Amino acid sequence: MPETFQDFDAVVVGAGPAGSTAALVLARAGRRVALLERGPYPGSKNMYGGVVYGRVLDGLLPAWWDEVPAQRWVTRRSTMVLTPTQALSVDFRTQAWGSPPYNGCTTLRPDFDRWLAGKAEEAGAVLITSTTATGLLRQGTRTVGVRTDRPQGDLRAPVVVACDGVNSFLAKEAGLYHHPEPEHFTLGVKEVLGLPRHEVEKRFALQGDEGMDIEILGGTGPVPGGGFLYTNLDSIAVGVVLHLPALAASRRRPEDLIADLKAHPAIAPLVAGGDLKEFSAHLIPEGGYEAMPGVVADGLLVAGDAAGLCLAAGLWLEGVNFAIASGQAAAEAAIEALRSGDSSAAGLAGYRRRLEASFVLQDHKKLRRAPGLVLSERVQHQYPKALCDVVEALFTVDNPAPKRGALRAARAVGKNDGVRLRDLARDLYTMARTFG
Amino acid sequence: MCQKWVDHRPEVDPLTGAVTTDPRTSAASAADHAALEWGLRMVEGWGGELLVATAGPAAAEVVLREALAAGAHHAVRIDLEATATSEEVAAGLAERLAGADVVLCGDWSLDRGSGSVPAFLAAQLAAASGLGCTVLALDPDRPGEVRAERRLDGGRRERLVLESPAVVSVEGGGTRLRRASLAGVLQAREAAVEVASAPPLTPSRPPLRIGPYRPRPRSRPAPSAELTARERILVLTGTPADRPPPQLLVLEPAAAADRILDQLRTWGYLL
Repeated sequence: MPETFQDFDAVVVGAGPAGSTAALVLARAGRRVALLERGPYPGSKNMYGGVVYGRVLDGLLPAWWDEVPAQRWVTRRSTMVLTPTQALSVDFRTQAWGSPPYNGCTTLRPDFDRWLAGKAEEAGAVLITSTTATGLLRQGTRTVGVRTDRPQGDLRAPVVVACDGVNSFLAKEAGLYHHPEPEHFTLGVKEVLGLPRHEVEKRFALQGDEGMDIEILGGTGPVPGGGFLYTNLDSIAVGVVLHLPALAASRRRPEDLIADLKAHPAIAPLVAGGDLKEFSAHLIPEGGYEAMPGVVADGLLVAGDAAGLCLAAGLWLEGVNFAIASGQAAAEAAIEALRSGDSSAAGLAGYRRRLEASFVLQDHKKLRRAPGLVLSERVQHQYPKALCDVVEALFTVDNPAPKRGALRAARAVGKNDGVRLRDLARDLYTMARTFG
Repeated sequence: MCQKWVDHRPEVDPLTGAVTTDPRTSAASAADHAALEWGLRMVEGWGGELLVATAGPAAAEVVLREALAAGAHHAVRIDLEATATSEEVAAGLAERLAGADVVLCGDWSLDRGSGSVPAFLAAQLAAASGLGCTVLALDPDRPGEVRAERRLDGGRRERLVLESPAVVSVEGGGTRLRRASLAGVLQAREAAVEVASAPPLTPSRPPLRIGPYRPRPRSRPAPSAELTARERILVLTGTPADRPPPQLLVLEPAAAADRILDQLRTWGYLL
């Protein structure tokens, strides 16, 4: 505990995965660190409908899988392409993901975030809940702490790590967001439906603590985006991710789009009879590498969603692992700066270098074309329909007519669905460059 | 003053009535917050110290630390299971709160609390009681005297003057708890909380079994098929049927209590 309560070596704003990791690393280095959380407990304000890929914790918390509050370990992953009346699934299953060190797990964020923040507290971080950072304390252009919504609520520290989530007010106040355009964000909307555990296992062909992750393309009606369905222990999370400007223009309500997805013939049997336990919505920074804000300023580091570090690249939908890695990198850079007594932007520049040297920025850079490609009209609507039509044509037995063959069927469908070869070739080339 | 740690968002199984609570969403009720605020104002106006008490498991200390952050001076937790009865809770609290000028409580907690702990407490402490008050007036020149207002039927109000020792329970809407300062929050994290055990309590009567409301099934003859659907429903539910006229019974207190319990059993409120 510091001599005067409001003085710390570092203040971390937001006890999500990025913030708690940063606080954990700082506290382990013997630094006095305050971890601010606006909710009554870590995870109370968070929403995530996905899979947490925990291998990034290997170095920080060895054998983390023994204690992480996992709901299910994902051993079955399915990518589903939908049209209003068709569904095409690529379903993959491996038992290798069902034992240590595992691949990914479904988890409930109130459990996961509380667990990780607990680790930070055990290491010596001071968790302050129900307290919102309302702004930065500045001396000129330099950040020297944060202002909170409590009386006499200023917290001073040479380094502030802003992990205050998507649409970060602190990063904006520091002038790090140059172009926070709506097109760089999606709206994630999720329902958690309660189902008996045996019913979850029966519907998704799971055993024990095995879990399933279904990613859906083409299930969001007129709005570009995607759908998802994840299995928890005795509930499922089903939802949609919607491109923000298109959602506004469509004048559709997100809950209607979830209802449409749940009514799809391929989805309805999976969610039937589910008891609505939770409904939530949250902005997601999906702009990718090109839309990222600055992450370093004098006395300030930005990590996690606040830095736009969410990978939404079609095949890969990841966020928590990027948040954890960025929180760790921010803390290591802060420790280095505190040691040298220089917490200016130059002193903290090691953060950006660490991000660039790790998967965090390398993946984002490699997949920088993905958001535009995945949300394009052709990938969202034209190709799913064409793909489903080709498969339908292949598997429809219309004797006495002889089988047409795959290429002939594809040509006919392409012509019928308006797929131009030139566009297809260009998109295939972009896909190869992006995902190859 | 007393605080109760209670889940603000419990899950209730609609079939069995089983309640599942979660420590993460548990905190003090609005009425307890109001009581804490009145307590802080009393100390500011009259001097003295504010002792905050709760009964429950270790996790319940969160409400004590919240009170300490807001300005309470001392905190004590009576180590009791969350399932303890109002009488047990009051007995545990009374032992530690004996000698207090004024004991403040919320009038009822969010978990369908009956508001009976303050009444038990007043009985245990042999103190005056003012239960369900909306507003308190505190005269700095008359420490220990509480002027309270509470609701009566028909929109009327009642004004009470309570002299110490007194137990006062307050509604949640009368005032709002101040926001604790950041320094207060940080100090409260490290503040000492006394833990006391509850005295053994001999139940004065066999405990009642309490469960979710289950009206007794009654067999009724099928309504005539000649009736409309609406009329058949009315016949089945007995809506238009004549009900027994109200009765005025004059009984001795014990007999009156037995009569009330019998009637509650008849209606299905008690098992």
